[in-house]
Amino acid sequence: MKKSLRRDRLKIYGDLLSVLYYNSGAEKIVLTQIQAKINVPFDRLKKYIRETVDLGLIEDETSLKLTEQGIEYLREYEQVLNFMRRWGVVYR
Amino acid sequence: MKYLRRMPLYGIERITIEVVSAIACFILVRFLMRIYRLTRETRYLGLPLGFGFLGVSYAFSAFSYSPLFDFPNSGWMQLFVRAFAFLFLAATYYFSKSKKTPKRLWNTTLGVLTVALTTLILLTIISPQISRSDYVIYYIFARVVSLMCLCYISIHALKSTAGQSDPLTIAVPFGYILLAISQYSSLIWVVEASYLALFGGLAFRLAGLAVFIFLSYRTFPRIDKRG
Repeated sequence: MKKSLRRDRLKIYGDLLSVLYYNSGAEKIVLTQIQAKINVPFDRLKKYIRETVDLGLIEDETSLKLTEQGIEYLREYEQVLNFMRRWGVVYR
Repeated sequence: MKYLRRMPLYGIERITIEVVSAIACFILVRFLMRIYRLTRETRYLGLPLGFGFLGVSYAFSAFSYSPLFDFPNSGWMQLFVRAFAFLFLAATYYFSKSKKTPKRLWNTTLGVLTVALTTLILLTIISPQISRSDYVIYYIFARVVSLMCLCYISIHALKSTAGQSDPLTIAVPFGYILLAISQYSSLIWVVEASYLALFGGLAFRLAGLAVFIFLSYRTFPRIDKRG
């Protein structure tokens, strides 16, 4: 990720992509379920989805499928979080 | 051959160990920078900074044993830089436990540590204000500070990783404990001049760094392919 982002947003993007990726096998992804899982208000969830589409992490707002770049970002995010946990520092 | 005659006892072995330790630390810096690259939070800079300074201190140690480099102050440099490396690491762990984000406090701490290190280097090397005969006293003081920092980090890391199902989480506290034993051994070395303590300490240090590198490669197995 070239763009410098605020921490909170990075974590929300990571959680959002994680939920979308692990639910990609489901027939239909319901936004309210995502909202409950990542714990953000509905209007902000839609804003975050728009932003991730603009960043090229999600294909479009209807399919909510992760792009190659999105999968790469999610992999990096999960690896770094795991690395931090193993080093005994927590990302809050 | 001219240089080998001026070498201290076990000079080649010690230079080799110092160079290997320095390389290990710089490899760790590369891995630890990924945390900062993702989070963009300065409080996570302490880990790469700490291991970076540690690598620099090992490089200065190698210089101090090598007759090829005529830099008499490298002993002082490695002493201060290593103690500050452990202080940076301890500060990072201290600030990482807070639920609030004390960004300003962390930035101040980072600044204070940097200024203190620079001042010490200025006072001992650039414009010497400290008697060089007091080196052993400063050596013991620096090692005690390092040992205290490592004890704090080990306890913190053990607490943070306790109860986690991932078996690799024990690697980091184990690595820090090995580094703490290494610092304790160097204290015994300076007091009793025991070669067992010296080489035992160096072996513990290498083992500790090897544990960290193993953990890093296990977490990021594809780093070389992706850069």
